Amino acid sequence: MTEAPDTIEDLDAPIDVSMTVDGARVAAAVRPRYLLSDLLRELGVGGVHVACGHGVCGACTVAVDGVAVRACLMLAVQADGAVVQSVASLPALEGCSPDQDGLTPLQAAFRRHHALQCGFCTPGLLVSTALFLARPGLARPGLVRPSAAAPGRDDILDHLNGHLCRCSGYANIIAAIESVLA
Amino acid sequence: MPLLNARIERPRLIIDINRIPGLDRIELLPAYIRMGALVRQEEALRSPVVRKYSAGVAAALAWVANPVVRSRGTVIGNLVTNSPGAELPAVAIALGAEFVLQYPDRVETLAATDLLGMNKKLPRGAMVTHVLWPCRTGPAGFYEVARREGHAPVVSAMVSESQGDWRVALSGVCATGLSSPTMARVFARQFPRVPNNVELADALAADLTDPPFGDLHSSARYRVDVAPIVSQRAAERMSLRASAA
Repeated sequence: MTEAPDTIEDLDAPIDVSMTVDGARVAAAVRPRYLLSDLLRELGVGGVHVACGHGVCGACTVAVDGVAVRACLMLAVQADGAVVQSVASLPALEGCSPDQDGLTPLQAAFRRHHALQCGFCTPGLLVSTALFLARPGLARPGLVRPSAAAPGRDDILDHLNGHLCRCSGYANIIAAIESVLA
Repeated sequence: MPLLNARIERPRLIIDINRIPGLDRIELLPAYIRMGALVRQEEALRSPVVRKYSAGVAAALAWVANPVVRSRGTVIGNLVTNSPGAELPAVAIALGAEFVLQYPDRVETLAATDLLGMNKKLPRGAMVTHVLWPCRTGPAGFYEVARREGHAPVVSAMVSESQGDWRVALSGVCATGLSSPTMARVFARQFPRVPNNVELADALAADLTDPPFGDLHSSARYRVDVAPIVSQRAAERMSLRASAA
């Protein structure tokens, strides 16, 4: 048990953390204020895109212990001991191997439906959609729908609320997700 | 966290409660649902206990942000920020929720009206460990108008009925603006059946003695005009729920 720090300097001292990022063990000393998104970028995880920096755009979405989270809304120290998966872990998140083109079913659907233009929003979208498909959300006024029922268009729209695509490819993104659900 | 990222808040110390065991439980007690401080919005929204015994909370949660943000955001976190733009504080006041505060040497229970609303602050040296939602077995509905779906509402309404006791919670038609913590409008009225917007407008008119605050999102007049319509749409969703149950 260390003595409680009582100065701002002490409180800002780096803290040792370790976590699994896309299957590799990593260790780092991070300041308590450091965001998980910044740490992941520093570690070279290119699939974490930082855009809005306050949880609106969804481009930095990663899976932390199997739950989709905004890497920009989590401190790096909070991920100590966690399993972090970016879009590089998409086969594991979708639970299947890539096809001969190296694409997962979701990626193949995005390509087939032209569900990306500039692609900046795509990595976060793929991570959270993989988890959405594994555990579909409940759309409003979804209180009337049993949770076991297959997700519909309302659920997809509720899910996409968390992702900004400024190329405005939403129609194609919805079509791609619907095709995977069909 | 967004407030930290924007440097609006610069706290000297943050205590991460995420690893405290037991605070992530939703428990059904004889008269209350008890939720710990780590219950995520998405878990509460999906909980059969919450849906059955506090349909108003579940209905409101479906409108909070989006699934990814809800999977990490907590119910109590949403409440104690006391944001006038948030969905839940008005709902907590309307449903008569209570908060359990843990001090170093004692535990205290406070009514939502004592903790939320205009000029209300969390007591120093205390942590909110649980929220208690009184059991209500009747239907509820929620609706809001927002600039963009999934964002803070301009005006939101929750309508809940249980054994003849009606509650309507409105946010966004407050006497002060979004820049300061404001009071949610709450009124309890008796309605013989699902109220229509004329009845809701009458009830609101009786309640709106001081005009609401207009801001860059919408004028005060718009808020007054839209409140009964938003309330009626919430009530329509309530009947949907009741007939489906």
